[in-house]
Amino acid sequence: MSDSSTPVTEPKAATSRRTFLKVLGAAGATTAAIGCSSNTGETLIPYLVQPDETVPGVSNYYASTCRECAAGCGVLLEVRDGRTFKVEGNPDHPLNRGALCSRGQASVQGLYNPDRYRQPMLRKDGKLAPISWTQAIQLLAQQLAGVQSSGKAGSALFINQHETGSFPGFLDAWLSGYGMPGHLSYAAFADGGVIAANKQSYGVAWPSIDFTAAKLVVSFGADFLETWGANVPQQLSFADARAKGADAPRVIYIGPRRSLTGMNADQWIACKPGSELAIANALAGSGSVAQAAQASDVPAAKLQALATEIAAGAPSLFLAGGSYDVALAVNGLNQKFGNVGRSVLTARPIESFEGMSSDAELTDAVERMRAGQVPLLFVRGANPVFTSPRSAKVADALAKVAFKVSFSSFPDETAELCDLVLPDNHSIESWGDAQPLPGVISLQQPGMDPVYETRATADVLLAVSKSNPKLAGTHPAPNYREYLISRYPGGTTAFTSALIKGIGSGTLVGERAKKGAVATTRTAAKIEGTSGDMYLVVYPSPLLEDGSGANKPWLQEIPDPVTKVCWQTVIEMGTAAATRLSIDAGDVLKVETPNGSITAPAYIYPGLRGDTIAIAFGRGHTAYGRYAANVGANPGDLLPVSFDSKSGSMAWTSTKVKVSKTGDFIPLVSTEGSARQHGRGIAQAIEARELGIVPTPAEAEKAGSGEEQMPGDASHAFLPGLRAPVAQDAQGDLPSDDNKKGMYDPNHWSGMAKRRWAMTVDLARCTGCSACVTACYAENNIPTVGAIHQSTATVNLVGQPGANILRGREMAWIRLERYFEGGETLDDTFETRFVPMMCQQCGNAPCEPVCPVYATYHSPDGLNVQVYNRCVGTRYCSNNCPYKVRYFNWFGYGEPLRPQYAWPERMNWQLNPDVTVRGKGVMEKCSFCVQRIRETENRAKLEGRAVQADEFTTSCAQACPSNAITFGDAADPAWTVTKMIEDKRAYHVFEELNTFTAVVYLKKVNHSVAAGT
Amino acid sequence: MAAAAMPTPDPERRDNIPSADVQLPAVRNYTQVTDEILDTLRITKAWFAGLAFSVFCLALGGAAWVYQIYMGLGVAGYQPPVMWGVYIITFVFWVGIGHAGTLISAILYLFRAGFRTTIYRCAEAMTVFAVMTAGLFPILHLGRPWKFFWLVPYPNWRLIWPQFKSPLVWDVFAILTYLTVSATFLFIGLIPDLAVLRDRETNPLRKQIYGVLSLGWRNSDREWRHFARAYLFLAAFSTPLVLSVHSVVSFDFAMADMPGWHTTIFPPYFVAGAIFSGIGMVFTIIIPIRRWFKLKHYVTLNHLDAAAKLCLFTSLVVGCAYMTEFFIAWYGGDKVEQAYFMTRVFGQWWWAAWIMLTCNMILPMLLFSQKLRRNTTFLFTLSIFINLGMWYERFVIIVPSQSHEFEPWRWAPYAPTYIDWAILVGSFGWFSMWFLLFVKQLPVLAIAEIKEIVPPRMRHSASRLNLDGHGETPGTLAANEVL
Repeated sequence: MSDSSTPVTEPKAATSRRTFLKVLGAAGATTAAIGCSSNTGETLIPYLVQPDETVPGVSNYYASTCRECAAGCGVLLEVRDGRTFKVEGNPDHPLNRGALCSRGQASVQGLYNPDRYRQPMLRKDGKLAPISWTQAIQLLAQQLAGVQSSGKAGSALFINQHETGSFPGFLDAWLSGYGMPGHLSYAAFADGGVIAANKQSYGVAWPSIDFTAAKLVVSFGADFLETWGANVPQQLSFADARAKGADAPRVIYIGPRRSLTGMNADQWIACKPGSELAIANALAGSGSVAQAAQASDVPAAKLQALATEIAAGAPSLFLAGGSYDVALAVNGLNQKFGNVGRSVLTARPIESFEGMSSDAELTDAVERMRAGQVPLLFVRGANPVFTSPRSAKVADALAKVAFKVSFSSFPDETAELCDLVLPDNHSIESWGDAQPLPGVISLQQPGMDPVYETRATADVLLAVSKSNPKLAGTHPAPNYREYLISRYPGGTTAFTSALIKGIGSGTLVGERAKKGAVATTRTAAKIEGTSGDMYLVVYPSPLLEDGSGANKPWLQEIPDPVTKVCWQTVIEMGTAAATRLSIDAGDVLKVETPNGSITAPAYIYPGLRGDTIAIAFGRGHTAYGRYAANVGANPGDLLPVSFDSKSGSMAWTSTKVKVSKTGDFIPLVSTEGSARQHGRGIAQAIEARELGIVPTPAEAEKAGSGEEQMPGDASHAFLPGLRAPVAQDAQGDLPSDDNKKGMYDPNHWSGMAKRRWAMTVDLARCTGCSACVTACYAENNIPTVGAIHQSTATVNLVGQPGANILRGREMAWIRLERYFEGGETLDDTFETRFVPMMCQQCGNAPCEPVCPVYATYHSPDGLNVQVYNRCVGTRYCSNNCPYKVRYFNWFGYGEPLRPQYAWPERMNWQLNPDVTVRGKGVMEKCSFCVQRIRETENRAKLEGRAVQADEFTTSCAQACPSNAITFGDAADPAWTVTKMIEDKRAYHVFEELNTFTAVVYLKKVNHSVAAGT
Repeated sequence: MAAAAMPTPDPERRDNIPSADVQLPAVRNYTQVTDEILDTLRITKAWFAGLAFSVFCLALGGAAWVYQIYMGLGVAGYQPPVMWGVYIITFVFWVGIGHAGTLISAILYLFRAGFRTTIYRCAEAMTVFAVMTAGLFPILHLGRPWKFFWLVPYPNWRLIWPQFKSPLVWDVFAILTYLTVSATFLFIGLIPDLAVLRDRETNPLRKQIYGVLSLGWRNSDREWRHFARAYLFLAAFSTPLVLSVHSVVSFDFAMADMPGWHTTIFPPYFVAGAIFSGIGMVFTIIIPIRRWFKLKHYVTLNHLDAAAKLCLFTSLVVGCAYMTEFFIAWYGGDKVEQAYFMTRVFGQWWWAAWIMLTCNMILPMLLFSQKLRRNTTFLFTLSIFINLGMWYERFVIIVPSQSHEFEPWRWAPYAPTYIDWAILVGSFGWFSMWFLLFVKQLPVLAIAEIKEIVPPRMRHSASRLNLDGHGETPGTLAANEVL
């Protein structure tokens, strides 16, 4: 033991009991002490020297630009302790004015996606294996040198996702340095036909649209609330227009399928697929109504009425989706009726759609690959293997390319076929810029250091160039950020100051030359020539778009605004067709074309013609990570490669199909219980012409006419109802009669009893887009529950995507209910009403008295508070909630070691540190973003002032691209919400239950008859 | 038998002499009673097999519960808004079963209904075990069962108390009170029999245990006087509990605002249903016992006949309640409630509602026939239907109401998973395990009370008794006919 010279001599039985116990005690204590201490040092505060402006627990916001679609909305990245955890709209941005769609908000789930490539990958023995960046850059440089030396550089190909700003120009310059041609700027489902027609008619790719200037809006299949154009600014304008009540434009939608946009229209003209042109021509006077009626299968009288209405309806607005011809005809209508410059703002084009390559160019490139002419292929941000019809056989063509480089950050179908993957930074990790509007530069800055070992593609390209002595001089900027500054008007100073708001004015130096209208001569898609019994309409999913959203569980889980189906591909079929073919919802159908077939369950939708089926594009991935792979089916498998003849844009509605029943049944993963209200007054509407007649609740109360009528009708109890019972005495509304006193003393020490937090939802504005739902998931750490791996314990449904949702266990604190009215036949007055339904924060809450442990109770400021720690999970509160807005944690969604874990590693970095992750077995519900309420109150207290009116709002209200939600203190007249409550359209849901809810809905305004009739 | 149960003073009849229809013609003397009843305590292979099967069922349920605690309640078939499912159904089912025992032992005791004598011990034991079973379910059903004690108002330094407005807290009190009182009542009634067991026992350890449990019973006059007083007091004390427990359980539903639940008829309706189901379960238990334990001459057809009449009566009350619910739904004019009742009978849940109506309202009508009332095979079969029907009654009340209420967007179906079923089976295992252990440790018939209706030896001249001139009543049938 030791080299001590004194040998330790001990008697043989020296270990006495006492010694033994001593040793045992000492050893035990030491073991315990060692066992309890961690070997890895952990720091509670990660900074020894704190970076400027970084205070633990306090958020910083960085203005940036959203890159989820081409539009280029401004975002604010909320960053705390070095992690970006929420993406919100930038209120100063001219394009989206603080709103943000679901896709933009979900970008943060792309950032932390657990399936991202974590470092460069190289194909070895048929499989992608990790390599280092040094090796990767070296390898790329070698490949480039090889291609250059073989003289084939001119045939190399770079496919980039379509974006504006500096990158396209930078990329082309880099490519030309190696003698390679300019890149393809690819966007699947871009409305190429419309862009080409706009170029032709107006000289710009995409004019801004002002719905507020129109009295009549006619959409020829233009889904302007979904994926057509820049949906957020369009929706903002549309909602503003619709909020004008009696002066709001009447909206007519023409198309075989009533999309989300169509649902927001007052009238739906269900024309045959491909017959929009005939109608547009008839309206323009260049064709006869009779011909159009025959071609479109719409009664001539209906078209005649439309023509009359249009003639009387100026100023109007005509919008077209689909082919060049339709768009051109519709642009002609706008010109004819003098809408250009009024509702069609060609002087303020959305520049994000400039410079886009057509689908035909991509197909040509694919054919070159197939012919073996392409020695080197780069793909960045695009996934052509998935987004092209399977009949285009892109994967086969890719196999003929000698060396394929992907810059994809995700293991998508295309990247998985490449030889070298150089994962790009996520947009939240990168520098960039965009030019969404003329004279507006939208800057993109990283919200944090890269999550994984990824690098910005621009920086990789620079590094490759710099490794080549010949090219090193061509790129003076040391990195891409410096490059951006060099192009920014005003240089570093202007750039740095513009970063604060994320927006600069001016034009980027050396803008890439704008492309003119592409003149292609393609054979037109001939839909009538194809064989089959039904038309097939393929449309990009409003949430998943071209499928790029499919790896973000929020976007998979939030139900489609139209079908309310999630985690599943369904075949939409009209009610008439379903009756004719005796098909029920969930019957598995096989859809066949000569190009392929898919099977999926049927969804019966009254908003679809009887001769048409519709399938959303976006699911059916075979790769792309755990959330996307093997979920749903891909309608691209059915499509032929056919183009719009003039623009070279892919024709998605281009074939007929054969539909047959397989005899199987798959339940629909839907959040819809009943699509009908059963006369319960949940979603109420009022005719625009009645708006002037109806009294306000206050007037009705004065007149004494407020008898209790139908469920939900506003009654005399309306305003006191909002304030009762907790805070009613606080506002002095009631005599100080002891029996009627509220729960809390108005002078409660907290001072909170003076307030009554409340919310209004204007259904005239709400379009049902579900951005509020995404915002709520993001803000409140709501678990997604539908992924395949989360269904391992969902007994009887194990392994099915969406198994938990089949059991109704989705956790969305706010849900978009979509109720149908009418719609039994195509000619019926078929109407859709959307109701965002969240906890109504009842003044007289049924949930509160039934909780045996006080886990839910009333706060002095009128909130129904849920104490997760106290909840034992009797679920009685949910039973007693008439609105069914309470959600139970059936599994341990927040426990990392479980398959049900909703935030697998790195996804958990997104969790809002202000909100608890709920444990297994407890109830949760909308809290009116109580963390924001308290944060604001605390901030006001620290700054020694009162909370200002409209100082903050809830996450849903903040994100809403329709500005439909208003939140505030209904007890204080300074808040906007107090004025909104006085609206004559105001009503409570289930008012007859005396719940005294704090959420007030404003009735939807219908314009079911044409103005002047 | 209603007439026999009437406590009207009959000047011609002396107290303590049982009316003819409750007499036991085939029982001659006290020794026979003691011997025959203690004979049932002999352990048999069949009993072991039954116990093993019960424990197996219990283990199945236990394993399912452990899995459920580990994974979360999602393994069960809950489908929001159906937040209460098989567990609450089974809870109410077992509480209901637990009603017959106290009804028979206490209320019928107070009413001097003689036919209770031979079945009450069995019913009382059933009550205690059924309430023990029922008491598990509110815990089983919790999202965090390990926090169940938060429902109990125990002193704590944070001064957090339960919400006394919540019917679930009332449940805790009601169930615990009922369990305590019915267990005490069972024990008190057992004391003289425990003394018998002590006296007959040869195993010294068991003898000692029985000795302690019999509280030193010496069969003295004073002891009997005190015993009778205590028993009467407990009977009076238990009687309101019979009504209160299930009323409180019904408040779980009636106090909620849900269509189909929010109704004032629930307390009497639930109590009647509980007694009905309890008597059904008594038949399910006593008929095999009197056959296998060779006790047919104790639990006579007269007794069963009388119990069957009670069963018929409660069935009529329950049927009336069903019809009243429909009437009120129509008459009340609440569209939501009307829609729910239409769905209940003709919609998604028609099958469950018709199981309920058939088993609880239609089939028991057959008991109007005396022939069937005296047919043990029929009674046993009917009792199985009643058990099934009463389980489905709770299913119909609980599940369809939740699945089809105010908010149409959240309407949903519901289907239990095999975890639900395993726990349901486990509850039967748990119940029957206790019951089987009981029947071999303690006399399943009340020895002392039976001796009370056996004529004292000095008056015992023949095996046929014909007192009070009631010779033509069924009670005077010959012993061989009784069997």
